[in-house]
Amino acid sequence: MIQKMTTFIRTYARLLLLAILISSVSVGTGCKSKKKAMEAQAAAAEKARLEAEALERKKREEDEARKKKEAEEAAAAAERARLDAEAKKSTPYSKLQQYFTAIGSASSVAAANSSINEALTLFASPETPVLIVISESGGQKDYDRPTTIKDYLNYLKDQKKQGDKLGNLQFDSSGKITEVELVKQK
Amino acid sequence: MIKHRYLLGILLTILVIGNISAQKADISPERKQAIDSLALEKVRDLSKYISIIGNKKTPFSEAQRVMDRAEELFAPDAEMGVSSLNRKEINYYKVRKYFERLMALNYDKVTISWYDIHYISDLERQPDGRYVGVVTIYQRFEGTSDDGMKYKDTTKKDITIYVERKKTQISGRTVEFWDVMLGDIRVSETSA
Repeated sequence: MIQKMTTFIRTYARLLLLAILISSVSVGTGCKSKKKAMEAQAAAAEKARLEAEALERKKREEDEARKKKEAEEAAAAAERARLDAEAKKSTPYSKLQQYFTAIGSASSVAAANSSINEALTLFASPETPVLIVISESGGQKDYDRPTTIKDYLNYLKDQKKQGDKLGNLQFDSSGKITEVELVKQK
Repeated sequence: MIKHRYLLGILLTILVIGNISAQKADISPERKQAIDSLALEKVRDLSKYISIIGNKKTPFSEAQRVMDRAEELFAPDAEMGVSSLNRKEINYYKVRKYFERLMALNYDKVTISWYDIHYISDLERQPDGRYVGVVTIYQRFEGTSDDGMKYKDTTKKDITIYVERKKTQISGRTVEFWDVMLGDIRVSETSA
């Protein structure tokens, strides 16, 4: 009886050992495939991250390039405007407009007279005719009574007016103004 | 009978030609508005000239030049009415004489300002082709002497305005323009 029991226990122990062995082998095999799957997943995630980073970097570089281009264009436009303004300052039109403003807003009669004398150097004569358009419709212009540039500049001084809008100027061969057309501001 | 027909024909022709001429003389509301504004501007210009002439600080040569310019605003022989709180009658002077008297006023400080400048009678075309209207202004006068003597009044004045189409030669070509001229300036009210 005791021998039977011993035999049974031995057999049971062997079976148990075998079962443990089998299960441990199978568990070992499952871990390995899970690890593989995890490694593949990690690699895919890493790849996606790298791609996203590359896309982000590309977008950033494009933005920077666009901003740089815009800044360069703005700087070029500003430079063109500055050069245009410089060029305009030296034209008789802008000089005359500046004199009109200076005379109309002069702080004293002496200051206004000084500006008038300077302005007159732009003209062929102090008697240069000035025509003032009071209205225009259908190609027909209505004028105020014609005056001379000397009288007009004195008028701006007396009335403290900034002057009418400059229309056409006519010049002689030496670049002096021989006729002025102004347009009355409404 | 034939004679009557001829007469009727001539009359009709005259009427038609007259009507066409009248239509040609009409100007658009925009052009009329520009002329109205131009005339008002001339009145405002006169206001400034009077203020400069009356100002005791204005140098003599400047005052003389301004008088010339102010005189150019007026029609020939135009007169300016002058009133006072100290007398009933209104005196009328040729504009040049008025400016000279204004410059010589026996005060140490003179201030003259015009305000509320407006048409009381719109510019209307007359049979002779001129436009005539009336502008009213209020003039505030204040004269002060160093010894404390002071006179001030407010005068309402009516200015007749004439606007005429004229031609002139500029650089060898004919230019047509609207000539605005101020007529008599009549005093209608004087108050303290």
